[in-house]
Amino acid sequence: MEGVSKRYPGTLAVDRVDFEARAGEVHALVGENGAGKSTLMKMLAGSFDDYEGRIRIGGDDVLLHTPAQARACGIGMIYQELSLARPISIAENLLAGKLPRRGGLWLDRPALQREATALLERVGLSLDAQLPVEAIDPHQAQLVEIAKALGSNPCILVLDEPTSALSREEVRRLFAIIGQLREEGLAIVYISHHLSEVFEVADRVTVLRDGRKIDTREIEDITPAELVRMMVGQEIDEFYSERTASIGAPVLRARELGRKGFFHGVSFEAREGEILGLAGLSGAGRTELARSMCGLDPLDEGRVEIGGRVLPRGSYAEVMKHGLHYLSEDRKTDGLFLRLSVRRNLNSALIREHTRAGLHLTGGEESTTTAWMRELEITAASPGVDVGNLSGGNQQKVLLGKWLAAGPRVLVLDEPSRGVDVKAKRKIHEAVIALTRRGQTVILISSDLPELVGLSDRVLVMRQGHLIGELTKEQLSEESILLAANGEPVA
Amino acid sequence: MNGTEPGSRLAALYDRLGIYSIAILLVVVGGFVSEEFLTGRNLLNVLNAIALLGIVAAGMAFITYSGNLADLSLPSIMAFSGIICVAALPLGLVPALALGLLAGVAIGAMNGLVVGRLEANPILWTLAVAFFMEGLMRFVWSNNQLYPDTEPGTAGAAFIEIFRTSLGPVPLLVVVMLLLFFLGHGLMARTRFGLETRLVGSSREAARTSGIRVSRVIFLDFVVAAFAASIAGIFLASMNKLGVFYLGKTYDFKAVTAVVLGGVMLSGGRGNLAGVFGGVLVIGLLSNILTFLGVNTFRQNIVTGAIFILVVGLHQLRLRRLGKDYA
Repeated sequence: MEGVSKRYPGTLAVDRVDFEARAGEVHALVGENGAGKSTLMKMLAGSFDDYEGRIRIGGDDVLLHTPAQARACGIGMIYQELSLARPISIAENLLAGKLPRRGGLWLDRPALQREATALLERVGLSLDAQLPVEAIDPHQAQLVEIAKALGSNPCILVLDEPTSALSREEVRRLFAIIGQLREEGLAIVYISHHLSEVFEVADRVTVLRDGRKIDTREIEDITPAELVRMMVGQEIDEFYSERTASIGAPVLRARELGRKGFFHGVSFEAREGEILGLAGLSGAGRTELARSMCGLDPLDEGRVEIGGRVLPRGSYAEVMKHGLHYLSEDRKTDGLFLRLSVRRNLNSALIREHTRAGLHLTGGEESTTTAWMRELEITAASPGVDVGNLSGGNQQKVLLGKWLAAGPRVLVLDEPSRGVDVKAKRKIHEAVIALTRRGQTVILISSDLPELVGLSDRVLVMRQGHLIGELTKEQLSEESILLAANGEPVA
Repeated sequence: MNGTEPGSRLAALYDRLGIYSIAILLVVVGGFVSEEFLTGRNLLNVLNAIALLGIVAAGMAFITYSGNLADLSLPSIMAFSGIICVAALPLGLVPALALGLLAGVAIGAMNGLVVGRLEANPILWTLAVAFFMEGLMRFVWSNNQLYPDTEPGTAGAAFIEIFRTSLGPVPLLVVVMLLLFFLGHGLMARTRFGLETRLVGSSREAARTSGIRVSRVIFLDFVVAAFAASIAGIFLASMNKLGVFYLGKTYDFKAVTAVVLGGVMLSGGRGNLAGVFGGVLVIGLLSNILTFLGVNTFRQNIVTGAIFILVVGLHQLRLRRLGKDYA
């Protein structure tokens, strides 16, 4: 790609960027949210018909104005969100659009099975290709997604945050497969916020900032600190500031909580001013536990108390009144109102407070909006712009601001900094710490180990639906959490 | 696009005034078509002609706003409340009106329960209810039209006067429509219920995780729509001096057209009743002008349908251009 640009109304998302990926290399693309990584890759995927600049593949100029053109040029894309049809079999997903046929009309089932199995083998899966996609685990689905992209024999494979839904072990397996594809001579572009992953898997790295290319480097010639400096333009020395927590009396008690098929016999306490971490591999039941506690999903057994009062089951609206709030895991599907303004979103958990005799009063909204936009440094042209137009980091700050504004006694944060840039993450962490200083309690669910270690005062470990251990502040480290989450003894 | 092209200036005007820019355009066109067009009497005629549609559309707007597209059972609710009202006239006018309203609202409550709590597809469910209700009404009243007793002094005589009453030069029907739009606008824009409907319409899941009782909000939206349709149904029965299963036909599609013309997005969560009133007005003005030009009703339907297709198509195109087709 030479001197490519893409303009959205009002912004230049990618500004004259040169980018090159060689056959047989893994090329990492890093940058903060809004740096232009995804836009650059969408260009490659044929999502835009109005980009500027030239794109060449194997020395030939190509025009990538439609996804079909991109596929024909040998570009395979794997997005953060899965694009598989859930009720359809793996085989049909893999070969969608080019199902093998017999006599021009009839589906050739044996050939379908054969080709699908061959593709699955390339990504190290030995699954029955007849299973519907909804029957397999998320990490397997991610690999199926890759197999699907391989089905069109790409020479360039782009992976956009492929690990955000995967646990550590699954990531390692994914990397093994990426390494193997590199040996086969594919050019692999790898987009990630996890710098440790970049250093683990990449041969070269290109840094984008504010739509411009900063530099491309060999991975051996650069240190993590340098890379971070290139991304943010300034060095972040002490990422997690030391904090002295003043922890008070227990405020939330969970007794013998259970939901069939998800978690069982979960009991714990959380104290005032405490950040209680909840660790576990994906599928351990952490999100399910949080949602059931809040009444968003059913709770079959046990009870939750806040300040000695038992929470009602099955109604989040009632639970919220008792002060237990939940920041949901996926801001795009069930966290934010993407088509509504920043103002509307920040006030969306405060409707009851802003209502008198059924009438909604807008008086309080403006001050809430101004205060939290300033506090969290939310960058938006005005409080009236749609949240969907903001960068991921700003979206996540809006989501957090919504719950901070609501003033919870206990706030459950489910992956509060997933897929956001370094600066936004830091801001989010500061706000969480400020919350606990006021005596409010945080239950932190996170797959980001440095975050979990850096913030938590205590970590509970879940595995296969059970609480299997607790780590004190002194025992906390990335290794101890990983060991515990995998069911190994902690030294 | 730059601001000097005539096309973009028109678009900018449309963004500012919405549907009213088209209403103004139609008034100007109407003035050229006929000298009678711009008389007070004709404009009152226009209002009277759109009043029933306006009442139904005001209710329908809550369904669309809540992200549930459309309530296709509204025509059968109109017919049902009319029939029940006529059938109950021997009990007296007021009980009959109350029972008519109650009958319509009951169907709305059922729809709201099924779509809100059981998360049924609103289009298919209300389509099924419309089918069922028509069958039921034809069965119970053996395909017959139901006539009120219109002897002077009876409740029936008072009933058929409802449509024919005027407050000064303004028909009661027009007053009721304007009042419903006024109240409905306040309900949608100023109350907790309205705001919660907006959030539910923008994202049902996000509304749930914001602590909003989603099923209750949707329930109420269907009740509001049924309430408005019942009022329209009673006026319609009064106008025709009879109650029968087919009164109300075609109001479903015309109401959705007005709602969408008025800028309430089909995907939910955007728009307001002031816009919907504009949408109803445009349909009324257009129909009035076409009548002056001697175009018959069926051809007018072609025009209405074509406008719907055009508006929805253009709107979608614009959203894509702006890169706003996320969600």
